[in-house]
Amino acid sequence: VDHLSVAPEKPAQLVSPRPALAPNDQVRALNYDDLHRRRVTVFFRFFMALPHLLWLSIWSGGVLLLAPVLWIATLVNRRPPEGLREVYAMFVRYATHVYAFLFLAAQPFPGFLGRPGTCTVDLEVPPTGDQGRWGVGFRFFLALPPLLLATALVGFGGGGGGTSTSTGDESANLALNLGVGFTAAFFAWWACMARGRMPQGIRDLLVYAIGYAAQAYAYLFLLTSRYPNSDPAVAPLAPLPPHPVRLRLTDELRRSRWTVAFRLILSLPHLVWVTLWTVLIVLLAIAAWLVTLIAARPPRWMHRFFARYVRYQAHVVAFAYLGGGPFPGFVGAPGSYPVDIEIGERERHNRWTVLGRALLGLPAAAISSGVGTAMVIAAIGGWFFALITGRMPQGLRNLIAYGARYGAQVVAYYLFVTPRYPYSGPADFHR
Amino acid sequence: VRRAGFIAAAAAVVAACIWGGIRLWDTTVPSDLELNTGAAMRSFDPEAEDEAADFEALIRWLFIASQLVLVGVLAVYARVGTRFMRESAAGPIGTGFLLGMMGIALVWLVQLPFGFVEIWWARRHDAAEVNYLDFVIGDIAGLAGEALFLCLLLLIVMGLARLLRAAWWAPGVAILAGLFTLLVWVSPFLLPGLEDPPRPIVADARPLAVKQGTTDAEVKIEDVHEWTEQPNAYATGLGETEQIVLWNTLTDGFDRREVRSVISHEFGHLQHDHLAKSIGWFALFAFPAALVVTVLTRRRGGLGEPAAVPLALLVVVVLQLVASPLVSGSSRRYEAEADWAALEATRDPAAMEALHHRFTAEALSDPDPPGWYHWMFDSHPSGAERVAMAREWAARNR
Repeated sequence: VDHLSVAPEKPAQLVSPRPALAPNDQVRALNYDDLHRRRVTVFFRFFMALPHLLWLSIWSGGVLLLAPVLWIATLVNRRPPEGLREVYAMFVRYATHVYAFLFLAAQPFPGFLGRPGTCTVDLEVPPTGDQGRWGVGFRFFLALPPLLLATALVGFGGGGGGTSTSTGDESANLALNLGVGFTAAFFAWWACMARGRMPQGIRDLLVYAIGYAAQAYAYLFLLTSRYPNSDPAVAPLAPLPPHPVRLRLTDELRRSRWTVAFRLILSLPHLVWVTLWTVLIVLLAIAAWLVTLIAARPPRWMHRFFARYVRYQAHVVAFAYLGGGPFPGFVGAPGSYPVDIEIGERERHNRWTVLGRALLGLPAAAISSGVGTAMVIAAIGGWFFALITGRMPQGLRNLIAYGARYGAQVVAYYLFVTPRYPYSGPADFHR
Repeated sequence: VRRAGFIAAAAAVVAACIWGGIRLWDTTVPSDLELNTGAAMRSFDPEAEDEAADFEALIRWLFIASQLVLVGVLAVYARVGTRFMRESAAGPIGTGFLLGMMGIALVWLVQLPFGFVEIWWARRHDAAEVNYLDFVIGDIAGLAGEALFLCLLLLIVMGLARLLRAAWWAPGVAILAGLFTLLVWVSPFLLPGLEDPPRPIVADARPLAVKQGTTDAEVKIEDVHEWTEQPNAYATGLGETEQIVLWNTLTDGFDRREVRSVISHEFGHLQHDHLAKSIGWFALFAFPAALVVTVLTRRRGGLGEPAAVPLALLVVVVLQLVASPLVSGSSRRYEAEADWAALEATRDPAAMEALHHRFTAEALSDPDPPGWYHWMFDSHPSGAERVAMAREWAARNR
């Protein structure tokens, strides 16, 4: 264990070094992972993670018991006591390490104390600083929305502890607890076993999800007064690789409160239209599959028609989930919406991948579905925020825009618009 | 020449409307009926009558207030609603959808408090079971349906207006009337969870259907106990899809003879093609209304332009209010005709009379509403008129 807990020589961090954190800054996820995975440790990953999960549960119980002490002390002194703060920082960091290890976002077996630098996916916690008493007093309630989003992103109750969120409805609870993280890790396991390498997109999605959960728990446990930021732009991710289906974002975050208030009703004609369109598309997709299997590329008109559909459904998703402000058009015209999808020219497909397209696309579809759950929570939170302020939070908007882009890539892959596999990493906002 | 052609066409439409209106207005109720409503009123239990009058008084004022607010909101929306065009990335018709849906959403919002007060009042009088949350959820579902229907209407109207400019209304109204016909025809299929009636109702309904020539119509029971205890029944469908639906609040709580009267009344609607005639009324109203809307929205570029949609909504609502005496008048005539048909078929005026006494006592239906309101908005004859009709029938058939 000691041998494995030693972090390997770190490759370069995936974003350029940033200045040291100031008091009450956001906790910062760090990513030194090189994507390399040893098949044997991947194969036994869950088994190897068991002692960590057990230890994390025990630790979770302890930090929950101490939470009232931490809360009262912080309420009185406006900052957490140094010793307690250190314990909670180690706990959140440890949870980050454990989830990164369990979900294959990191390779080395982490240490049991959450020490900095013991895992390739790490966490930097800001130094202590004074916090407002109102924010501290209502911290639990304020932290609920980000904790819910963290649960949808990571699953298993989020990245900070072993608790789960009960909604009273078992199926909803299951969907939330599986989360993006668990779904992505499940498929990553197979990829790592096959290639001995973690797919970069899935690794980045996991780093983003775990990093966000760490922010949420750091906020809950008073390590910082900064509200969690769901913007993928703050996560340490690899640059977005070129892909023929790309996000083009010109949205300015302003929202009309009235159209926000009635967003679901306003989305209805689009939902009906997209459903009708989907019926036609499914029928055409069968023909497209046969043609592409023979000719290695779909007919030009089909490509154009499918591209319009891909773009349109992304516009509708963006509008319904408040990722975009204006009411979209009904024909998926390029450049017609602030959350738009650029689609490249028709390409040649490998016939084997065409033959097995339905099966090959399943992992991406499942991950996209998980992202969809997170998008729903982001949309609900964004709805309240936009209704009050007339603006959509950038973090939530970017999460929704990423979800729309990833969903569009999945649909495009299924419809033979592109032979390129959907890229699940949310690095669209990195410059 | 063009002007003369337009005037000739308009005159032809007006003449056709008048001729059609006269035909549709006509019913089989003897024109020499003299209804002694004063005597009929004395047959109602004064206590029940007072409670019903008290109950309906607030409902009436709520309705009037909600209509005033409706017109006020739409008037404001007609002025400022075009600002929402900035919130659209869609084309003209899509933007029209947005403006239309925002209009009815705002109307829904300002009507919601009236709905709450009405529910509170009905619950206070044990006339409703529905709770406030269910009411809002049901209302939102209704709003969603309205939004979709409005989009379909706007697609037809704006699409034709963009294609044919001011001449859209002739084919437009024909298509809308066709759509309305289709809606009436399919409406029985849109009613989920209807049950077959128990044996006594089947036994009562069969001879009545034979007598009234409605043997193809089905009789169904709708379970409404969850949200109301008020009795009701209705006829729906067209031709092969005709059916009558009885609420189980009626079949469970009313005397068999009274239920038989209701069945026969609903068969009366089918016997005299009232649903088909309602399509005729729709067309009669829609032709001049479409003309008026076309003329009034010209300054905003015509109905093909989204900017005209908020104004068009206002105009349609105002026209509906203006036409309501005519619409409710024709409806009252058809209800009277169905009552007369039921009396002819059941030959049981006592049951009819007892039924309306119970409607007053249990459904809190005011037997003698204020004349102006009755003339403007009531779709049914008053309880007193219906009892008087039953007595008149009895006197003629003694």
